[in-house]
Amino acid sequence: MAKTLFELKGVYFSYLGKFPALCGVDLSIPEGSRVSFIGANGCGKSTLLQMLDGLLFPDKGIIKAFGAELKENNFNNEKFAREFRQSVGLVFQNSDVQLFCPTVKEDIVFGPLQLGLDKQEIKKRLERLVDILEIKDLLDRAPHQLSIGEKRKVAIASTLIIEPKVLILDEPTAGLDPLTSRHIIDLLIQENIAGKTIITATHDLHIVEEISDQVFVFSREKRIVRNGVPSDILKDTELLEAHNLVHIHSHRHKDGVHIHAHTHLEHHAQE
Amino acid sequence: MSKRRFIRSSILAVCSFIRESVLSDAYAAKKGLLQARDARFKLLIIFTLLLAVLFSKNIIFILSIYGLCLLFALASSINIAFFLKRTWIFMPLFSLFIALPALFDIFSPGQPLVSFRIFGLSLIITRQGLMSAIFFFVRVLTSVSLCVLLALTTRHYVLLKALRIFRVPQVFVMTLGMCYRYIYLFIEVVQNTYLAIRSRVEFVSSLKHGQGIVAGNIASLWQRSYVLQNQVYSAMLSRGYMAEPKTMDEFHMSIKDWIFLAMAILILVLVYGKNII
Ligand SMILES: Nc1ncnc2c1ncn2[C@@H]1O[C@H](COP(=O)(O)OP(=O)(O)OP(=O)(O)O)[C@@H](O)[C@H]1O
Ligand SMILES: [Mg+2]
Repeated sequence: MAKTLFELKGVYFSYLGKFPALCGVDLSIPEGSRVSFIGANGCGKSTLLQMLDGLLFPDKGIIKAFGAELKENNFNNEKFAREFRQSVGLVFQNSDVQLFCPTVKEDIVFGPLQLGLDKQEIKKRLERLVDILEIKDLLDRAPHQLSIGEKRKVAIASTLIIEPKVLILDEPTAGLDPLTSRHIIDLLIQENIAGKTIITATHDLHIVEEISDQVFVFSREKRIVRNGVPSDILKDTELLEAHNLVHIHSHRHKDGVHIHAHTHLEHHAQE
Repeated sequence: MSKRRFIRSSILAVCSFIRESVLSDAYAAKKGLLQARDARFKLLIIFTLLLAVLFSKNIIFILSIYGLCLLFALASSINIAFFLKRTWIFMPLFSLFIALPALFDIFSPGQPLVSFRIFGLSLIITRQGLMSAIFFFVRVLTSVSLCVLLALTTRHYVLLKALRIFRVPQVFVMTLGMCYRYIYLFIEVVQNTYLAIRSRVEFVSSLKHGQGIVAGNIASLWQRSYVLQNQVYSAMLSRGYMAEPKTMDEFHMSIKDWIFLAMAILILVLVYGKNII
């Protein structure tokens, strides 16, 4: 049985005390696992991920990370803060937020520099990631001038370069072309094989099976209503329909246009 | 149509001007005389020259520092027209509030040069007043130019770091850094909002209507950029930011930096000596 990495018990959170975002979340995430969160817009996925990254803290309930309770005060201790930031990395849903340096290159090396990594080592990691993500041409450009997909790649690079043990990604493939999505997923799978814990929030049911051993489904009441292995969850059309994850859809098959519930999953493979 | 276009182009022009002049690191990335200087030395050199300008009572001297400033700008491959625009834009503000009143005998009694009457008030411009107004103007112009030169040729991260080395308090430096990013986000939000309005209504029908939209949105604009700013701060924390930015650019001093600094100090000493005599 693997060690528990994160554990949440009865967690409540609201923005500014009046916009509820998490209403009683219980879950645990084992070390080295692949976990994903799915659910309708605004059900609290991003909020939860930021909480796992030690950026938001529960109003009620507790969150434990690496076996100890995670509290805001802990981060006043520089040693703790550094270790935690080194161990856990988050790719934000909105890449614009994550990229704030004048050039792409500076943005990518921002994390490791703050964490005091060796300059030579940083250069080595930078070169490797630039190759994998094919962003060499972007290095000297200003992040705000890039396309959404390019920004996302840079954002992913800026988190991966820290080489955290736990990689949290908020919608990593949104806005990416199919081939780039593929690259990113392969990259994540490799990182997981290398022992990293991968936590993802996504609307893209295509990738759920590949990037997770366990899926948590959020309800609109902002708590977790189901969790299980991807194949079970993805088969449960009723559940998915109830949480905006599938839709009634009209589209063209060989025999013309027709309408049916559509999971964005297997229908094309069946043709 | 022309009015419409005027509104559109003026909003976008203001945004891009701010972006270009306050936020751009384009000039800092170029190769040139000042860009090659070690940021710590550059800060010291500019500071010394500022002191010299402040202490000097000789207008020719201040003008020559201004000339030097322009030369530096040229040698740092800064477009002179841009540099002038960038510095002169501050001048009307200062002139209006400080230099203009100084012209008149109410504030600067002395030998009358011109006199005229407005609204039954008789005003006299005095020779002393004129001199002190010109003096003031030149002094401010030169100081502003020096600061702009420093800001243009140094990446803001490096500049903040250099400030920290001279023990400028952390809070101050951090606030500066935050302001910088805040302006940046604010501009971004303004531009995007403007585009969004345009995409929905295609054009802002009149100047008044345009002002209405802007006024109605300004509160929510500030709010939106504030939320964004908070998120950016989270993103920085998430990547291990601990109140003191670290950069890849280490300071590189060279013998030239020392020479420049020595020259600046010499100028200051000369000014000071002359004042005493
Ligand atoms: N900065 C904020 N201020 C106030 N309320 C917020 C803020 N951010 C999020 N919320 C609210 O918190 C709830 C959860 O938001 P969250 O961003 O976590 O949803 P999400 O599941 O990530 O949605 P999406 O799929 O659209 O990304 C939403 O109801 C939202 O309105
Ligand atoms: Mg989200």
